[in-house]
Amino acid sequence: MKMFLALFLLLFSILPVLSGCWNQKELTDLAFVMALGVDKGKNHRFDVAFQIVNPGNVSAGQGQGGGGLPIAVYKSSGDTLTEAARNAALKVSRRLYYAHCNLLVIGEKLAKEGILDIFDALERDPGFRTTTEIVIARDSTAEELVTTLTILDKLPVSKVTKELQTSEDMLGETLKVNIDDFITSLVSKGKQPLITGYSVIGDKKIADNSQNLQITTTKAFLSANGIGLFRKGKLIGWINGYKARGAVWVLNKVSGTDVNIDWNGKKNAINVTPLRSRTKVSAKIKNGKPMINVVIKEESIISEINTNADISNPNEIAKIEKKVGKVIKSQVIEVIKEAQNKKCDIFGFGEKVHLANPKLWKRIQNNWDEQFSETKVFVTVKPYQRRSGVRRNPFWNELKQ
Amino acid sequence: MEKAKIKSTQLFVLIVLFEMGSALVVGIGTDAKQDAWITVLLGLAGGICLFLIYAKLFLYYPDVPLTSYIQKITGKFIGRILGFLYVIYFMYLSARVLRDFGELLTTTIYSSTPLLIINALMVLTIVYAVYKGFEVIARVGELYFALVYCIALLGFMLIMFSGLVHMENLRPILENGWMPILKITLGQTLNFPFGEMNVFTMLLPYLNEPKKVKRVCIGGMILSGLNITIATVINIASLGVPLFERSPFPLLSTVSKISLANFIERLDVFFMLYLMVGGFFKITLFFYAAVIGTSDLFGLKDYKKICFPMGLIILFASLSIASNYAEHIKEGIIIVPIFLHWPFQIIVPVGLLIIAFFRNRKKQLIN
Repeated sequence: MKMFLALFLLLFSILPVLSGCWNQKELTDLAFVMALGVDKGKNHRFDVAFQIVNPGNVSAGQGQGGGGLPIAVYKSSGDTLTEAARNAALKVSRRLYYAHCNLLVIGEKLAKEGILDIFDALERDPGFRTTTEIVIARDSTAEELVTTLTILDKLPVSKVTKELQTSEDMLGETLKVNIDDFITSLVSKGKQPLITGYSVIGDKKIADNSQNLQITTTKAFLSANGIGLFRKGKLIGWINGYKARGAVWVLNKVSGTDVNIDWNGKKNAINVTPLRSRTKVSAKIKNGKPMINVVIKEESIISEINTNADISNPNEIAKIEKKVGKVIKSQVIEVIKEAQNKKCDIFGFGEKVHLANPKLWKRIQNNWDEQFSETKVFVTVKPYQRRSGVRRNPFWNELKQ
Repeated sequence: MEKAKIKSTQLFVLIVLFEMGSALVVGIGTDAKQDAWITVLLGLAGGICLFLIYAKLFLYYPDVPLTSYIQKITGKFIGRILGFLYVIYFMYLSARVLRDFGELLTTTIYSSTPLLIINALMVLTIVYAVYKGFEVIARVGELYFALVYCIALLGFMLIMFSGLVHMENLRPILENGWMPILKITLGQTLNFPFGEMNVFTMLLPYLNEPKKVKRVCIGGMILSGLNITIATVINIASLGVPLFERSPFPLLSTVSKISLANFIERLDVFFMLYLMVGGFFKITLFFYAAVIGTSDLFGLKDYKKICFPMGLIILFASLSIASNYAEHIKEGIIIVPIFLHWPFQIIVPVGLLIIAFFRNRKKQLIN
């Protein structure tokens, strides 16, 4: 009996320790923040929009869940990010939970004024993941971006993050930049950060309306739009289209894209798609001045020929290779020149100089922006044409006979 | 001392777990920036030299722990004082590691649980382990050694496959020359974790084959040293130097960056599992050494009686040694190496070895 009592007492005393409910948060009490939109505030420093997933309306249950909208957006403001997040408690019935936040949207206005003040909160918070990706809301506010509804992907967030990935793989004009990447290039003296821009295109007024989901050609949609250049945490300009691709190329992030070349006097007659590409950037010091070498090696296949060409002839292939190389080179040189004009080393050339000659780097690092604009950059492109699809010569050859 | 005997493989495993313990968690040599891994290797080399001193002392007196032979070497009075200081040193270190462990959990996942609760749970487990005796601890060590290696291998592969490792982050090597590296080695990595091998001066008598002591211990140190080096290299390569310096727990930052195929991600729990195991062994061994030392100094027949009270002391010491994390780390980097590690790990053992050498030569001459 004594033994039994002792055992009972022991088990009883262990009970509160083992339950593990010190600060339990039930799933139904949490609001999963999927995206965070930060804008320049009207009354306070920041206006923050929290895009919260509406779990019942996202689950793929048949027939059910189709009724409501997949997301709800709450707004709040504060002089710091944390203050804004805490103020949101006035409006949201549940506790905001950030561990699943996949996207940080920054309004263009705020980006132009400087975004340094928002990053420490995001990096320091143990619940927030620094792998969260960042985009800039270009020509619109972050709030407009996070309130826009999308078709195909029910959650607008997964549309944006998936699109960043796909377009990096297929087009090479956007960059996936997460909070860690941004801060790393921010503190580096030899590299300036870049962030992809996103715009709401079309009728912004109905972007957040469920009407927007009823039409196949949605009236308002999200689209990647250029890459923003930053200096000292301030947005100083945009690079668009093939220039953006040039920048991505130098950063060795291009995996797939396409290049048009002229052939037989016809403009944009042949299209090739690079499959693999590898960029090597190295620095050399000559006469106490750094020189940068960019070598791009890419392998591509021919995807379209809209004129007659004899691609069974390896000499012709070599000519195509040469032309492709020229096109890529001109695109890359153009973006490098633009960056040099803006005195903004987005390619991390400074870091290469650091590796090549740490002593010289110590002398010039504080003046690198100036030095960068005068540094000679040599670009070499080595294209390899590997295959040409499931046809040999194009039908054009027979048409012209 | 209790009557226990452990195999050489068990000692090996304990050494590896002990050395990696909190060194992997808090990250060592971060002040050396991209050369942190060099300071780890140099620390390992220095640590092995230090261990040779401890091993020599052990071979002079293979049957008794440090607190006993220190009395034989320096005489009863001074020996007892020194022995007592050693006991306090071990207790302080176990409280320190306990604090490290608790701080990590409270900053990362248990953000609103008081430190007291987390530390108390850990102390309860440790007191229980020590109460059960050294053989039990050694057997648990064998079990967890396998677990830790499984986690480490899996984690290593996931980090590799996620493409996080950018070796160029390690360059330029020796940017600021050897001086800062030597400074950091002597001030930090030599003492922590490699110099902490001096806790084994209390535990070596349990080894069933005293002749193998050098091979087993140095083998264990080299394995754990290489593991720490690899972890440091991976941390720097995947975080980059600025983030590596800013992270209080670099390995945690690295592990939380793992993202494979968009669904194997947020694996912080791997790190937490390791932390529990590593922290447990490190605290347990320090604590055990302190308990055994006390019972040896005061001639207690059964050391088990003092396990619980000493556990309480460690628990409250862990809370009161610093009022915030910054203070705790500052003490660990600036004060502890100079005023505790150097005297107890290096100066006193060297002095003991010199005296022991002359005493034993005299004995041999008489014989």
